Amino acid sequence: MKTELAPRTKVLVYGLMCVLLIPFVFPTWWMVTSSVKPISQIFAFPPDIIPRSFDFTTYGRVFELQPFAQQYWNSAYIAALVTIGTMLFSSMAGYAFARIRFPGANLLFMVVLLGLLIPSEVTIVPLFQMFLSWGMINTHWPLVLVPIFGAPSVFATFVMRQFFIALPVELEEAARVDGLGRFKIFWTIALPLARPALAAVAIFTFLHSWNLYLEPIVFLSSPDRFTLPQALTQFTDAYGGALWNVQLAAASMTALPVLIVFIIAQKQFVEGLAHTGLKG
Amino acid sequence: MTSSATSMAVREKRKRPFWTMERRDAAAGYLFIAPQLAGITLFVLIPLGLVFWYSLHEWNVLASTFRFIGTENYERLLTDRDLPRVLGATAIFSAGLVVLNMSLALLLAVLLNQKLAGITIFRTLFFSPVVVSLVAWTIVWSFLLQNNGGINGMLAAIGVEGPNWLRNPTTAMISVIVVQVFKNVGLNMILFLAALQGVPRELYEAARVDGASPFKQFRRITLPLISPTVLLTSIITIVGSLQVFAQIAVLTQGGPGISTTVLVYYLYQQAFQFHLFGYGSTLSILLFVIVAVLTFAQWQMRRKIVFYEN
Amino acid sequence: MASVTLTDVRKSYGATAVIHGVDVDIADGEFVVLVGPSGCGKSTLLRMVAGLETITDGEIAIGDRVVNDLEPKDRDIAMVFQNYALYPHMTVATNMGFSLEHRGTSKAQIAERVKWAADILGLEALLDRYPRQLSGGQRQRVAMGRAIVRNPQVFLFDEPLSNLDAKLRVVMRGEIKGLHQRLRTTTIYVTHDQVEAMTMADKIVVLNAGRVEQVGAPLDLYDRPANQFVAGFIGSPAMNFIGGRITPGGFVAAGVTLPLPAGLPAGERSAVYGARPEAFALAPDGLPATVTLVEPMGPETQVTLMLGEHQIIAVFRERVKARPGDTLHIRPDLEAIHLFDAETGARLN
Repeated sequence: MKTELAPRTKVLVYGLMCVLLIPFVFPTWWMVTSSVKPISQIFAFPPDIIPRSFDFTTYGRVFELQPFAQQYWNSAYIAALVTIGTMLFSSMAGYAFARIRFPGANLLFMVVLLGLLIPSEVTIVPLFQMFLSWGMINTHWPLVLVPIFGAPSVFATFVMRQFFIALPVELEEAARVDGLGRFKIFWTIALPLARPALAAVAIFTFLHSWNLYLEPIVFLSSPDRFTLPQALTQFTDAYGGALWNVQLAAASMTALPVLIVFIIAQKQFVEGLAHTGLKG
Repeated sequence: MTSSATSMAVREKRKRPFWTMERRDAAAGYLFIAPQLAGITLFVLIPLGLVFWYSLHEWNVLASTFRFIGTENYERLLTDRDLPRVLGATAIFSAGLVVLNMSLALLLAVLLNQKLAGITIFRTLFFSPVVVSLVAWTIVWSFLLQNNGGINGMLAAIGVEGPNWLRNPTTAMISVIVVQVFKNVGLNMILFLAALQGVPRELYEAARVDGASPFKQFRRITLPLISPTVLLTSIITIVGSLQVFAQIAVLTQGGPGISTTVLVYYLYQQAFQFHLFGYGSTLSILLFVIVAVLTFAQWQMRRKIVFYEN
Repeated sequence: MASVTLTDVRKSYGATAVIHGVDVDIADGEFVVLVGPSGCGKSTLLRMVAGLETITDGEIAIGDRVVNDLEPKDRDIAMVFQNYALYPHMTVATNMGFSLEHRGTSKAQIAERVKWAADILGLEALLDRYPRQLSGGQRQRVAMGRAIVRNPQVFLFDEPLSNLDAKLRVVMRGEIKGLHQRLRTTTIYVTHDQVEAMTMADKIVVLNAGRVEQVGAPLDLYDRPANQFVAGFIGSPAMNFIGGRITPGGFVAAGVTLPLPAGLPAGERSAVYGARPEAFALAPDGLPATVTLVEPMGPETQVTLMLGEHQIIAVFRERVKARPGDTLHIRPDLEAIHLFDAETGARLN
């Protein structure tokens, strides 16, 4: 496929891609620019692609209407815990299933894979009951524990296992001869070499936790415990109508940091995802 | 004879310790999987058992009734007048999403696989919605799709009167599908791109020498070789489409009417808005069965569709 | 340094036996090559000595210590892998010192040992590089460096040269041999290449299908192979085999009768006549043979001939100016003739 294209085809491909880009890029642009437009202009006709004047007061309003800093922190630390926990436990399990021979390994792997068929949406009712009986409703425990051990982590385990299977086994044999036990081999040889897969797992897991919506609205009830996705929907006036500009300001603050990190590290992002063993 | 005699002697001489290398290694294996296995048991398997148990009960949280009713909830599934429409909406949503997502992902991957300057920038931009917060993305689309919002504003500027997107059953369904496709198609695009780049160049060169047209090359070489990826991503996409909740909740709340109420949203309403945990659990079982059947069917199809696997 | 003793060592995976009772004694400081065709079990055997494969039955001792149930790290061995198995995320120096780190050696001592090994192998300039920045030969040397820093009792080599090109292989062959002469560490070396085995070994163990076919010094194996398998495996071009019958009048084969050496057991029997390519000499009174191919190699000439109905290859020290279709007269050297049982392949003379 990678042959040099004729100039005319090139123009065609560029043109097609530019048109296709609109729905991918424009919403983000619209979100940020609308959030700095005065309220009178956000529904202006014809629409202003580039804002005529700037009004940053909405950004202050975000913090007045909701404990937004606290909510930001909630989302960030929950996502961090989930990501670290998933990376650790999934790489351990993935490694064992790829490399260590133990009785029942295949059966147990099937049991773990079963987790892929059971997204937390299916088990949300009993999970609610369980956490209720443990006194963990309106705490962040469910949002940390369920993803670390539920379906998303099963996916991570699968990705890690695929990666470890492809890793040359001689490296680990050399390490055994060099005097390392299983845990040290895992920690000093296998894990450092698994960086691309770990990066992919980290990205998936972080985004999954960062985007979680059903679980927070089921488990959390007080605004200072809310996470960002849940908080974003709370910017309404007394009649329940959306305060669009405030909401868009909050949305921009939620979206932009991750987007900026992505653009800086896009190569690692994309290549990490591409090399997850998902090639089939 | 002599060799077996020696081996007997050897066996007698040497007493094997209990912690042989295999046993030590196996113990390490169990330790490595222990956290994940314990977690899955506690947070996935036991809840699944409980869901089934709950589904056999009438359980109204507000009235605090908890009563064993056998299969009554399942009979209710058959008589629930909303359920056929909910399942219909789910089917349309999932099918529309998967078809649109896979074909757009493939088109983008093929475009991005061309040797062009600045292709990385395009790749980054097409991928960018994946990393934009889901609810933020949905909110801005909701804003754009308002009757007086950006999309209709722009349509009006070129003299077209747009519909009230989220208030009309058909356009509302189209809207939730399209919003979700643009959000996540980047993932499949990247996986397809990786698969395309994994096709050995020589195969295309050989096909060109054999006189195959670009279209034929795509159909006879590219597609078969990337079919494992297509299958895997389609499973992930279809299972994922059955879990879509936030987008519906933010964009349409399942409306207008119940036209965009997909199964997960319906289950959430029954369990957490109407506080019917028993019937909600029955709907969970239904969701689980659908996910399981679809996944199983796709793995079975693998034999027919996937031409090639390493 | 230590001797290595394998006593009736067996290995099976489930019901499939891959090593059927191997006995080998390796003396302290000896360089032993395990050689055989692929799938003969030589690598498995080496990995059992290393502790990377479990021993189904039998006993392996290093020095006077039975190591069957010891972890690789407790066996005091070092191994060089076929694809080198250098840790890609560590520098050459870290790679080489890695095993010492896990044995409580002090940093200063590690540095000293690494420098000593680097000196021997000419790696001083490469210590800060990463494996991906090295050539094949350099990687090979680092893998050897990693083995020698620890000063182990036994070196194990698993086809270490098979990833190198032909020229480099010859160079590294010499280096490994030189290293052994310098360090005198007991070495077990696995290869499928009989040339490597011949040139490097003090003692060769020929394996086939999980059994030892013969153990001996390289030239003993060459001159007196115990059976037809060893005879055919050792030597290149391979020994010519001609099937036929031993009779009082000579060895009767299809279309030709060959002279027999003295001292054979009396009586007629069917057998295989083995003659290495260099065991034929041009002689006017020899057997007539038709030339089918002439390959001048420079110092010698390799000629493919039809002797009766049998195709044979002969190598002559002189330049042969024959063309395909010509007839040459050749005579086998009776001192260098091997006779094998037609059924068992066992040596008869």
